[in-house]
Amino acid sequence: MSISHSDPAPSVAALYFDGRSARAHPVTLTLHGHDLHLDGAGLSRIDALPAVRLSEPMGQAARIITFADGAHVEVRDHAALAVLLAASGQRDSTIVRWSFQPRAVLALLAGLLCALWFAWQFGLPWAARQAAPHVPDEVVTALSQQTLAWVDGGVMTASTLDVQRQQSLRSALDAAARVDGQSLTHALMFRSGGAMGANAFALPDGTLIVTDQLVALAGNDDEVLAVLLHELGHARSRHGTRMLLQGSVSALFMAWYLGDVSSLLAMAPTALIQAGYSRDMEREADDFAARMLRRQGLSPALLADMLEKLAAAHDKDAHSPDSLPAWLSSHPDTAERIARLRNGDFMLN
Amino acid sequence: MNNPFDQQAAVPAAGNPFVPPAANPQREPVLFSGRGAEYFGIWIVNLVLTVLTLGIYSAWAKVRRLQYFYRHTTLGGSAFDYHGDPRAILKGRVIGFLLLLAYNLSFQYSPVAGIVVAVVLAAVMPELLRRSLRFRAHNTSWRGLRFAFDGDTRGAYAVFLMWPLITVLSAYLLGPLWHQRLKRYQFDCARYGDTRFAIDAPVAAFYKVYGLALLVVLLGIAGTVALLWPFAAANPVVFMFLPMLLIVLALFVQPYLAARLQNLVWNHTRLGAHRFESTVSARRLYLITLTNLLGIVCTLGLFMPFAQIRVSRYRLGCVTLLCAGAIDDFVAGQSADAAATGEGAADLFDVDIAL
Ligand SMILES: [Zn+2]
Repeated sequence: MSISHSDPAPSVAALYFDGRSARAHPVTLTLHGHDLHLDGAGLSRIDALPAVRLSEPMGQAARIITFADGAHVEVRDHAALAVLLAASGQRDSTIVRWSFQPRAVLALLAGLLCALWFAWQFGLPWAARQAAPHVPDEVVTALSQQTLAWVDGGVMTASTLDVQRQQSLRSALDAAARVDGQSLTHALMFRSGGAMGANAFALPDGTLIVTDQLVALAGNDDEVLAVLLHELGHARSRHGTRMLLQGSVSALFMAWYLGDVSSLLAMAPTALIQAGYSRDMEREADDFAARMLRRQGLSPALLADMLEKLAAAHDKDAHSPDSLPAWLSSHPDTAERIARLRNGDFMLN
Repeated sequence: MNNPFDQQAAVPAAGNPFVPPAANPQREPVLFSGRGAEYFGIWIVNLVLTVLTLGIYSAWAKVRRLQYFYRHTTLGGSAFDYHGDPRAILKGRVIGFLLLLAYNLSFQYSPVAGIVVAVVLAAVMPELLRRSLRFRAHNTSWRGLRFAFDGDTRGAYAVFLMWPLITVLSAYLLGPLWHQRLKRYQFDCARYGDTRFAIDAPVAAFYKVYGLALLVVLLGIAGTVALLWPFAAANPVVFMFLPMLLIVLALFVQPYLAARLQNLVWNHTRLGAHRFESTVSARRLYLITLTNLLGIVCTLGLFMPFAQIRVSRYRLGCVTLLCAGAIDDFVAGQSADAAATGEGAADLFDVDIAL
């Protein structure tokens, strides 16, 4: 060698593959200025540093230096390579460095959990609220009919309530379900609740379903009307559609997230995520019902009475094995909602 | 040395005219050196960037994930490598997403439109899958030589359209036969450099594996129904647990099928004159799968990267290459130069469908 340095040029042992055969050639890589020299038995090549490509570090895995003509070397001596790379001024990309720094990984993990929690808590409900009015009526109707078919397919059976009682409840609701002189779209259906017991719910298209057990639980038609108006509040604000949108997006995310492991596993959590209306939605529906009851000259406390009765009925049922915990999710809030309706601190506008 | 294998290997095969060279092949085990804690970093960065870019980064994430797994897989002292272009993968994902969207929307619109889209999908899917196989093979390399897949379109329509239809029409009785045909299409049309793969797994072996799996499932269902029957009379709600039971059974059978099918396929696969050996134990794989599931559930998914590493380490570590000659002797086929110029459509896009 003609040039003599005080430090020897950094060199690394490697395996060379020419891209034409599977034969491994043991070689030595040396850095001279901006040139990478490769030397082995009967082999020698010089490549300018900008013309070679270095694979990102991945733990103990071999790093691969690829040349412009498709040949490459595999390097497993990571310590020697680090010295050579330091001399060449090479620096890994930010994304690569993040992946291998425990502190960066922890920070990213925390950031991810925060972002997901925020998106689920605020982002998703907001997006669903924006999107719900734009869901075509045909889709809402089709979804509602599907749900109704499911309900009639074994969950509930035909009502045994006498026709006159049904008629009087219908006309009471028709009279009450008006805003600014306009009648709100709705349909009232009676069913026998089966395992669901005393219950009432709204389908996204405004169909209200009330069980015979709930009518029996109520002392009079006004109390039933209070519950129906609450459900109509859900339908009017498209709460069902919103929950459905949120549920679908959550399901999609879970399917993607857990899809790698088992698509079976992905189905389980979505059922848990979509467990009834949010507290805010219940409040909104309560406010709507209270307003409509006042307009009819009735007291919002009627709804509070019904909530109390329903909670008690389902509490009692909870000890029998065949009750479904439908009210479980909103249960802790029920006392608060009752107090709100009794004290009249709901929104009247 | 008392190791019998060492003594066997010490006999020079060429020196004994009565023993053909292939009788004591040199064993080259596949080694996997990936570590869960290390892969966790890659996984979390991939996840965060994928979420932040609303899924677009997922194509780059896939390349980094595969590169981590390939480069940690070593055979004969050198690692595998993955060369997929993220942009091609992204293109494939967009196409896949649009197809799925069209399928779902058309059924909302009208059943007739839905059926039309489904027929169109069925007609293009085999070709997409064939390209996916080509993409995957073409972008995999070992010792500087690329793998390749040159299955034709006719074969693709046979294994991805004709056989599935026949399978459904035969009430799944011909399912194992379909699987055998699929593996034959996959392996017989695959090359490493210019050396061809070949598979000779008999149909009967596929029937045996699936038959045993089915037997376990049927026994499981029968056993549980018999167990639940006394309670069911008092309370029909008990039967709501049946779907859950099916999930448990699927989790139980899946490792068995994975282990037996891997062994079946690789023990009957040749690469030129070289053979493979796969010794996955269904019981070990079942234990790994079960503990993985527990870990994933307990950590809300954060154990996933560790789980993937554990499964890969076990399944890859069970494979050995039985070399009939020097592994240095593989040479590139005519595709070596085509690789540089881009083998036309092979790199256009990749559709992610696991096979
Ligand atoms: Zn409500």
